[in-house]
Amino acid sequence: MELTLKEKRSASSSLMKKNIRKFLNNRLAMIGLIFMLILLFMCVFAPLFTSYDAETVDFTAMRAAPSREHIFGTDRLGRDIFARILYGGRVSILVGVVGAFSGSLIGMVLGSIAGYFGGKIDALLVRISELFQTFPQMVLILIMVAVLGQGLENLLIIFSLTGWMTTFRMVRNEFLSLKEETYVKVCEAFGMSKMSIMFGQILPNVMSPVIVATTVNVAGFILQEASLSFLGVGVPTTIPTWGNILNAAKSIDVVTNYWWLWLIPGLVITIFVLAVNFFGDGLRDVLDPKQQ
Amino acid sequence: MDNKDIILDVKKLNTSFVSDKKETKIIKDVSFQMKRGKTLAIVGESGCGKSVTVHSIVKLMPRNARVKAEKVQYNALKDGVVTEYSLDKMEAYGKEMRKLRGPEIGMVFQDPMSSLNPVYRVGDQVAEGLIEHEHISKAEAKKRVLDMFKKLGIPDPEQRINDYPHQFSGGMKQRVVIAIAMISNPELLIADEPTTALDVTIQAQIMELMKKLQVEDGKTIILITHNMGLVAEMADEVCVMYMGRVVEFGTLEDIFEHTSHPYTRALLRSVPVLDMEEGEELETIPGITPNPADLKEGCEFADRCSECMERCRKGTIPAYEVSPGHRVRCLKYDKFPEVD
Amino acid sequence: MLKFIVKKLLQMIPMLLLISFIVFVGLQFTGIDPIYYMISPDMAANTDNIEALRELYGFNDPLLVRYFRWLGDLLQGNFGYSIVSGSSIKTVIAQRLPATLELSAFALVLSTIIGITIGIISAIKQNGIIDYIGRVFAVVGQAIPQFFFGISMILIFAIKLGWFPTAGRMSPEGVGFGDRLWHLVLPGVTLTLSMCAVLMRYARNTMLGVLNSDYIKTARSKGIPEWKVYLKHGFRNAMRPVLVILCFRLPMLIGGSVVIEEVFAWPGIGTILTQAVVSGDYPVILVTTLMVAAAMLVASFLVDVLTALLDPRVRIGE
Repeated sequence: MELTLKEKRSASSSLMKKNIRKFLNNRLAMIGLIFMLILLFMCVFAPLFTSYDAETVDFTAMRAAPSREHIFGTDRLGRDIFARILYGGRVSILVGVVGAFSGSLIGMVLGSIAGYFGGKIDALLVRISELFQTFPQMVLILIMVAVLGQGLENLLIIFSLTGWMTTFRMVRNEFLSLKEETYVKVCEAFGMSKMSIMFGQILPNVMSPVIVATTVNVAGFILQEASLSFLGVGVPTTIPTWGNILNAAKSIDVVTNYWWLWLIPGLVITIFVLAVNFFGDGLRDVLDPKQQ
Repeated sequence: MDNKDIILDVKKLNTSFVSDKKETKIIKDVSFQMKRGKTLAIVGESGCGKSVTVHSIVKLMPRNARVKAEKVQYNALKDGVVTEYSLDKMEAYGKEMRKLRGPEIGMVFQDPMSSLNPVYRVGDQVAEGLIEHEHISKAEAKKRVLDMFKKLGIPDPEQRINDYPHQFSGGMKQRVVIAIAMISNPELLIADEPTTALDVTIQAQIMELMKKLQVEDGKTIILITHNMGLVAEMADEVCVMYMGRVVEFGTLEDIFEHTSHPYTRALLRSVPVLDMEEGEELETIPGITPNPADLKEGCEFADRCSECMERCRKGTIPAYEVSPGHRVRCLKYDKFPEVD
Repeated sequence: MLKFIVKKLLQMIPMLLLISFIVFVGLQFTGIDPIYYMISPDMAANTDNIEALRELYGFNDPLLVRYFRWLGDLLQGNFGYSIVSGSSIKTVIAQRLPATLELSAFALVLSTIIGITIGIISAIKQNGIIDYIGRVFAVVGQAIPQFFFGISMILIFAIKLGWFPTAGRMSPEGVGFGDRLWHLVLPGVTLTLSMCAVLMRYARNTMLGVLNSDYIKTARSKGIPEWKVYLKHGFRNAMRPVLVILCFRLPMLIGGSVVIEEVFAWPGIGTILTQAVVSGDYPVILVTTLMVAAAMLVASFLVDVLTALLDPRVRIGE
């Protein structure tokens, strides 16, 4: 049956409308999206929400409990925790987003190559991805920290290097089946370059699951950053991040007597990650209903 | 006709699926009676509800399905005594229903590749039902399985019962599936497109095998298919379904010689036959099967029907009995008596 | 089968060499000069001395020479010395490994039992109460930072309620099984719960996939009771992918509890690794990495063998 271009367009836009409606009807996904956006907005426009600075030390108010002036209290140097959470959120979220995106990028490129060319390249890349996947992630990251040294940029590199495997697998598997499709054969027969077939013709069909996986990775890397900074090998302590704020909880004295120093930032991370995950699940239902 | 002649009596069977809190009707008021020792073919395009109908009857349905029926009665006949079972009142996987599956009703599914459990030897898979129902020893069960394999023409049975499904070809796998269905000697065999997934030559072998079972052992067979050629070869009675409704029901002769419903006619015209004139083209049915969720009132076939009238689009179309036992759900025949 | 196993075992050796080489070379770029850890600061002023020492210890040799020297030592059972504390790495590991194994094995076994049981039940009773609770637990469990959860456990069960100790593997005076177990509960449970979430989800989805297959319908059409359908036909098939995941978790026995060890001051491999990374103690990093890598290769070997054993399609071939 012949479809005119206009009909095709209206079909795709009605699919889009249907998907958006489906997403809007998913209550958890919407709650996730709203929480995510609120927190993101507050972090980006932090100065609108707090008059304090993340770095200003105030020795007159050290480890002050939450009060009218400091709604989340202050830390051992008298820095306002609410301000630190907002400014720290910028870095933490940035690390998660950039890490996940560049990881997915690596995964897409390698996955396309492995899936399209197959053979020895494929076998080698699959083997490497398996190695990366079976290595306990924390140990892998720690080794890389040892090699590259500590620092924000290095952490981003490390996250990209440890977060490409899921995307790689998905893209590769899709490529393996899609490259047998007629339309790819037609493109080849027309003499299109391998690059434009791979990235222009096949890759767009794989984007939905990749977007979902990237969202999940954003959440994962935010947690990962927190853990690393807690261990003291993440982002240098001079830069506030959610993990660095929580580093205070290493002391049993803090855990026992100054709950606001760790409970509040911990809850903020949990809520944000939860929101991202809910959002990602909702996205999966809409974009990639095959996977559960 | 009494219960000795009728093996299965289905009245007003309705099935719907619930997804995203919406209920979509798939099967609507399906009623038919199945004669003992005969073959009933249920035909129709993909998605017309053939498969869902029989699965609803034997209660092998996914969790989100809702099945309602006025009556689904199975009449077992043993030594001249009839026992009635109301399938619609039974729990899907309860004891009563389970006692019927195997010894009374055997099932063969569409895809032999996925119908067998990959991790068990085929012999054990065939024997499982037997051991469950007849409580016999493993050695005895093995003997029965061997006999069944021989009967179904599986070569080298002694060896093959110890093989795994992946070591079998498609046709041989389907024979194993038939062996599973037949091992407890059921009276009713339900075959859900048993040959769709197979090569044409293998198809013929499998169908011959089933015909043999019916003629020699007097089995009753429900054959689900969209292949009108198979119907002509196998069936005694035919049930034509469209969009979850029985649109025409009758004997093989009724359907092929006195074709009444426009849909049945279209279906028959789309089958290639050997004596076609040169240059004569096969016809296709215009349009596509609508989405069950989009259906409005009136005749489900109206949009694709060349004889559609104004009144076809209103209310529910009743069935008319054009000759004894030949029922047609079409307003063209409204001078005939209306039946359920 | 034996040939298959030997072949797989032999394949592990080049892999191990490759990993050790990559990490060895990688760690050369850290810019840490081990010489400064070996001499006193006043000696460091004299550059001639340093050069002489470098020559003496072979630090100026080409990379490959140094790698094979290290490898040779390793094969002779000489694991080298920590450049920070100067203690023998072999001794340190011998002390620490049991602690890590104890903690991880506890969590691995417990999380496996709980995760698979709940996952399978959730799949069988899809959308039931257990499925619902399990899903909420999995979602929340994946969102809480592991260390934050651990700290909360300490606050509630150690500090407020006083039921368990806040840290450590044993009391200074206390010896014996009871004391060990008492210390193990909090870190063990924390690690278990964090390992549970993923496994539960995986077991549930695998079982759901299996229950939707045609052979389950075939099994039901035989009229066998539901528990047999689930256990014999469902569970047996769902177990294969789940076991694979379990095997791949074996490296966690050594490297999976880094964060938890830190939170509970558990004297295991994780704590030395963290310290080594912070201080640039690369001989320690190298040996620890190699241990994890070895565990990983053993795991993937086990996966190959297990799949072969459990799946007749692999075992017998077409």
